[in-house]
Amino acid sequence: MDRSQELQAAAARGVEVSLRRFDLADVDAMMVWASDPQVAAVCRWEPYESTEPLVAFIREVVLPHPWFRAICVVGGEEERPVGAVSVTPTADACRAELGYVLARAHWGKGVATAAVKRVVATVFAELEGLERVEALVDVRNAASQRVLEKAGFRREAVLRKYCVLKGQVKDMVMYSFISTDPLVE
Amino acid sequence: MEAEGYVSLREFTEADAEALLEWASDPRVVRFQRRDAYTHVDEARRYIIDHVLPFCRTRGTAPSAASLGYLVARAHWGRGVATRAVSAAAEAVFAEWPWLVRLEAIADVENPASQRVLEKAGFTREGVLRRYVVLKGRPSRDVVMFSFVRGDGEVKPAEVATHS
Repeated sequence: MDRSQELQAAAARGVEVSLRRFDLADVDAMMVWASDPQVAAVCRWEPYESTEPLVAFIREVVLPHPWFRAICVVGGEEERPVGAVSVTPTADACRAELGYVLARAHWGKGVATAAVKRVVATVFAELEGLERVEALVDVRNAASQRVLEKAGFRREAVLRKYCVLKGQVKDMVMYSFISTDPLVE
Repeated sequence: MEAEGYVSLREFTEADAEALLEWASDPRVVRFQRRDAYTHVDEARRYIIDHVLPFCRTRGTAPSAASLGYLVARAHWGRGVATRAVSAAAEAVFAEWPWLVRLEAIADVENPASQRVLEKAGFTREGVLRRYVVLKGRPSRDVVMFSFVRGDGEVKPAEVATHS
């Protein structure tokens, strides 16, 4: 196949992503989504205004984290991350919390869904004792709920007034994917 | 003289180690607890000194959500003690912590008695969370999540007093 046929075949399969570990050199790519107020609005943090605190975040949080990966789109600028996905252990060894963020230019194309599918296909083998990956989504964030549903997560409950985020009390939907759940192709 | 069913809540002291051991050593009571049963009063004393007393004095943070848990000695099951204690605790913490918005509690899916305690105390059943906790190193358990949020209405009244 030539290059254009390859891209057409890839488009027919849906977007493909690869996940890899972050490097300090990724700070500029990360700044694209970390500085975006529209992205930050649905996240727990405020937009970054300079790269120094972002470098500190990579060094102090991302690099030592048990499972924090860069989302790269296969067929795009392959080594340049367009988002991040993490699985963070909790007080119970059997469960960890999924989080993900994507640059706005890549919203609505199935990138987050593809990344989450790759996570649940690999993370259970990589984190000792893990049986449950859970995700908490604002009840009003329908797009993020669809990502999880398409990746095979089960909606379990609405946790009322679960947290206060940026001054607002939020109801959150709890989703989970357990190690025996079927992977969605 | 105390009325039948009267329950009061107070802070623990080191002198409670023997009493705590009575239920903390009973496998029927600690069946759905993460920790193993205690076998000696020194374990109970260490737990009070190292975990309970510092916990009661931690006022530095102001979290909007908190977790409730309870254990009752076997001899006092079936008389509404846990329900009254949970009601009293919920009323007390919402009064003492104005920043508290959500009080949650989990009960094992195979512990209907504990689920009834929470329902009778006015908590709302939110759903089953699969493989949520690991018990004593055994396979993980499914639990039912309950919550009581500020604005849920009056906590069920109980013949209760709280004092520190």
